Amino acid sequence: MKAMSTRLFAAVVAVLFMIAVPAQASDDPDINQYGNSPAKNMVLDAKGLPSEWDIKTGKNVKWSQPVGSQAYAGPIFYRGKILVGTNNEGLRNPELKNDRGVIMAFDEETGEFLWQVTHKKLPETKLHDWPLQGICSTPAIENNIAYYVSNRAEIVAVDMEGFYDGENDGPYKEEEDTSKYGGDILWIYDMMGELDVFPHNLAAGSPLLVGDLVYVSTGTGVDEGHINVPSPFGPSIVVVNKKTGELVWEDASPGEKTLHGTWSNPTYMKSNGKEVVIFPGGDGIIRGHDAKTGKIYWTFDGNPKDSVWRLGGSGTRNNIISTPVVYNDLIYIGVGQDPEHGEAPAHFYAIDPSKSKGDGSEITKEAMVWTRNGEDFNRTISSAAIKDDIVYIADLSGFLYALDSKDGTHHWTYDAFAAIWGSAFVADDKIYLGDEDGDIAVIKTGTHGGGGKEIEAMSEMNLGASVYTTPVSNNGVLFILARNRVFAFAEGAQSKVGP
Amino acid sequence: MQRVESAFHPRHGSRLRSCALVALLALCATAAGAGEWTHWRGPHQTGVSPETGLIDSWSKDGNNLIWRDDFVGRSTPIVVDGRVCAIGRVGEDITRQETVVCWDAGTGERLWERRFNIVSTAVPWNRVGWASMAADPVTGFIYAQAVDGRFVALNEKGETEWEWLLGEEVGRFSGYGGRTNTPVVDENLVIAHVINSGWGKDFGPAGDRYFGFDKVTGAVVWVSDRNDSLKDLNTYSAPVIAEIGGQRLMIAGGADGWIRAVQARTGKDVWKFQLSKRGINASVVVDGDLVIAGHSEENLDEGTMGRVVAIDGTGTGDVTQTHEKWRVNELSAGYASMMVHEGIVYATDNSANLVALDVKTGQQKWMHNFGTVGKGSPVWADGKIYVTEVNGNFHIIKPGAEGAEGIDDEHLEMPYGRYAEVYASPAIAYGRIYFSTEEGMYCLGDKSKEFKVDRGDFQWEAEKAPEGAKPAHLQVIPAVVSAKAANSRVEFKLKLYDAQGRFIRDAKNDEAEWTAKGVPVRWEDGFMYFDHEKFSGTRGGTLTATIGDLNGVSHLRTTGPLPFTEDFSNVEDGKVPSGWMGIGPKGQVVTLEDGNKVLELHKARGAPRARPNMGVASMTNYIVQADVMGTQKGRRRSDVGLRNNNYTFDMQGNHQRLQIRSWDSELRMMKQTDFAWEPDIWYTMKLAVEYKFNDKKEPNLAIVQGKVWKRGEDEPAEWTFTAEDPLPILNGSPGLYGYVPVNSYYDNVKVEVNAHEGHEH
Repeated sequence: MKAMSTRLFAAVVAVLFMIAVPAQASDDPDINQYGNSPAKNMVLDAKGLPSEWDIKTGKNVKWSQPVGSQAYAGPIFYRGKILVGTNNEGLRNPELKNDRGVIMAFDEETGEFLWQVTHKKLPETKLHDWPLQGICSTPAIENNIAYYVSNRAEIVAVDMEGFYDGENDGPYKEEEDTSKYGGDILWIYDMMGELDVFPHNLAAGSPLLVGDLVYVSTGTGVDEGHINVPSPFGPSIVVVNKKTGELVWEDASPGEKTLHGTWSNPTYMKSNGKEVVIFPGGDGIIRGHDAKTGKIYWTFDGNPKDSVWRLGGSGTRNNIISTPVVYNDLIYIGVGQDPEHGEAPAHFYAIDPSKSKGDGSEITKEAMVWTRNGEDFNRTISSAAIKDDIVYIADLSGFLYALDSKDGTHHWTYDAFAAIWGSAFVADDKIYLGDEDGDIAVIKTGTHGGGGKEIEAMSEMNLGASVYTTPVSNNGVLFILARNRVFAFAEGAQSKVGP
Repeated sequence: MQRVESAFHPRHGSRLRSCALVALLALCATAAGAGEWTHWRGPHQTGVSPETGLIDSWSKDGNNLIWRDDFVGRSTPIVVDGRVCAIGRVGEDITRQETVVCWDAGTGERLWERRFNIVSTAVPWNRVGWASMAADPVTGFIYAQAVDGRFVALNEKGETEWEWLLGEEVGRFSGYGGRTNTPVVDENLVIAHVINSGWGKDFGPAGDRYFGFDKVTGAVVWVSDRNDSLKDLNTYSAPVIAEIGGQRLMIAGGADGWIRAVQARTGKDVWKFQLSKRGINASVVVDGDLVIAGHSEENLDEGTMGRVVAIDGTGTGDVTQTHEKWRVNELSAGYASMMVHEGIVYATDNSANLVALDVKTGQQKWMHNFGTVGKGSPVWADGKIYVTEVNGNFHIIKPGAEGAEGIDDEHLEMPYGRYAEVYASPAIAYGRIYFSTEEGMYCLGDKSKEFKVDRGDFQWEAEKAPEGAKPAHLQVIPAVVSAKAANSRVEFKLKLYDAQGRFIRDAKNDEAEWTAKGVPVRWEDGFMYFDHEKFSGTRGGTLTATIGDLNGVSHLRTTGPLPFTEDFSNVEDGKVPSGWMGIGPKGQVVTLEDGNKVLELHKARGAPRARPNMGVASMTNYIVQADVMGTQKGRRRSDVGLRNNNYTFDMQGNHQRLQIRSWDSELRMMKQTDFAWEPDIWYTMKLAVEYKFNDKKEPNLAIVQGKVWKRGEDEPAEWTFTAEDPLPILNGSPGLYGYVPVNSYYDNVKVEVNAHEGHEH
């Protein structure tokens, strides 16, 4: 938060929200967030999604729009709008120069550019705010308010209407661009200024939104020497009230044991009658927190006890960048490292947290339902999509595995022949998977007869730039964010992919 | 006994021998050997080898594998005079060091190994040995720049000919992550790219500069002007030498995103071309007058990433708008350097696609995917392309007019199963292919063919200016002096060059008017001495020689005899003491509320780590003491400390402990202990380093001794915290240390002789 004490700000927010929040029904059921729901399962109900398209001829292309030169967040839809996180190289507003983090909003139907919020870079670029990476946090949206983590490690709430409603809503009034193309920021919670978070390279957390609370990971970690954790009391997870932006709870685990940074995301579940937020720490240990207070119910070590962390990625201990997924009361999560550290054997787990007594103790042994590892699973930064008891999980080495959710039985493998950063998306009996070469593979869901064989895709289309994100769909339209362009694909559509 | 030090900087090997060599070589001097691999991109700096009869396949089981040795490396080897040499990393835990190894190129017998400590850097262990070395075919010397800025010339026996500690001596940044620049040997020089912040008006501001060193003596012959808009503090586009438009040019990509050409003999700017929004890492390749450059970051004129351009290299000044001949957009050739052969430019993009482009037009002829991660640069030889991938793959590819075909792949693994990292590209000489990996050093070749060292033609003659040429540039050698005041004398040499950078003549010292600024000097018998009776502590300044309207500058920095003290009372607020380095925007002298003047270190752009250097690098056997105060804001606390011979002793705020270490990111000899201390309270710290010696009187153990007490209380009689280092670091500037997410303060600095028995002072 800028230039205002927390207490003063909270008071201001409390007053302003009564009068200044955009006029929306307070019990809006329409929520969207990274992973589609608090369970973070990359699966949606859909029908009639396209299995192929051609960006050269425009076949099945509904619309497409350039974004910045790099984009890692979104796309996410909400009531007729699409948001993406990118950098400022698109220079949508030539007045707002230089490298910035940007959230862009487009009309879901037409692709028309609506508005953007831009955030200047921190002065410690590589250390805390890596140049030109933009905003890597996929917003969570509810009540027409989008919440995300800016490149400056702030939790930001913006009005989905922007300035189209003719009002500068919320207590925050320092927007640089108040034309209709500028975004309308409601409030900002500065995690570095307030809590001494020390993001390593970039804060990139995509918020979890449950009830009145917004949960974010902070990015906190080591300094440029990659050993020392300069701010061990700076939290790895921060929870604020979605209405006021006030801090509700925070937790600094694992503090100085953080191996690199904190880049996983929290996931929500009910377990043993308790509301639990599952949060993988920067030490490769997954923690189950009381969703309301942050109290730690249990821990699960994502690495064997004899594993070793080595700088540069040659070690056997991994941290966690993937987001946990909850399906039928089990947690599914893989471990991995910064893609820069290269490929290596890793672990994927199905975890049963009901084995916990809720006393904060480690449950690694008793809660592990099954694991896939060694030669069979490489480092991953992807999340699972789980449908009809089949887990679809990709690894950084370019393999997508179909596994039985109950016992881990290997049904099949698909080889994308390129690094995979995003996750498989399952809808309409199809799997959509993007890779670093810019290829989108479309694969039929199901066991394909099992047996652990290698299978082929139904189709594969290239988007002309790497795909580091996860596709989503809404109303029969498939949205994919490539590194520098967002696409909407629909059966029967025809649209030229412009410059 | 007092020892007379090197003329221009502290440590210097066989000085007499070198001088004799200089005299001998002045008549002929050097160029790259056609038959050897003395530059990391080969004899013509194009990635092309003239060798023939090379292998089409090999296997780690023995097929066409001539020899292999255990070695951990990540850069390209060099081959000179029958030796293959590489830089890498060696040791476990407390013995972790950088290593330079030379093998017999034919048999793989290890001829020698030199190990060096890595000091005072935040570059991690696994990045050590980043830059390739360069070799001089005439002297057989090899040149290495380590990740911490040690720049060393080693002779054929592995003995140090000369050495610069660029971090301490010219304020070189080691930056983020380890990217380090490969030097190039040209004529009588070895040229290195250094991003630094030195001292004084011109040399002080941060920028990337090129340094031309005399390859035999190590004297700095020229320092280029700086590029000031740094986007990174370290990049690795290695300099390439080319004759274009009648000038001998050194061309490289900078940390500011520009491609820059300077005169190779004088360092004077010729032209520059703005290519990228970030620093440039790939080296350029030159074909005739065309300079082909690539990058994979954001383009300047549109929201895309990656581009390959061809620049007409005959221009002057900013040629961005005027001299671009062609471009290929969104070709991300950012890590691997390109090669050019018979009208074709071969570029490897970051995703391991090999792309063939017409050198005249940039038109793509074909693209061949050979893997997933493209970092090693391809080498063309004998109709084949040899290229590596980070994930352990060595590929042999047959290029054709319409496309390319992979003819052999070999995969290298570590003993524990993961792939062996291969960042290097191959070096090819004597019918053999040499490359280094995380897992070993390899020599490939046809065993049935006799091994023969063919040195090729490496004699050269520098082009002289025509009769009657007008002097346009005055060179003062050495152009940088960093030495203790008491024992140093400096002999300057003056050289005149014409506007094209061609040598005209040596000038006599008495032809010039000499003006010293910032450092008191005196002259005696033609030598310059630091007039150490006129100052104490450290001074930085310049010495300017003027002949007519030409000025040549040498940057001087020196430390007077011990003891010296600094209480900042004579330093203006907002400034730092003369000659102190390593502070930049991260500190200044301030007046506290009580009127006391102190040094404040504070957060600024970049990492909040500051290592002010208060002396010159050759200092040793001293005790450093200072009052220090950390502060707290929220949960942020600063770490405050001292440095002695590159050992850091700090009080860590958030961790509430004392720590002694030599390398911030690899705690090989680190020792720490819990220690409760308070913010906003002054403490006094003291640090000394002593040594134990073996039978041959070589130091074999450093004993690093610290103590800390509340200022004003009695000093503890004994050292209270001690660490030992079996690989002792023998010298280094006295310094302060701060990790300053919030401010830290320093006062009453004292550096005095350590009157420890058995030491030479």
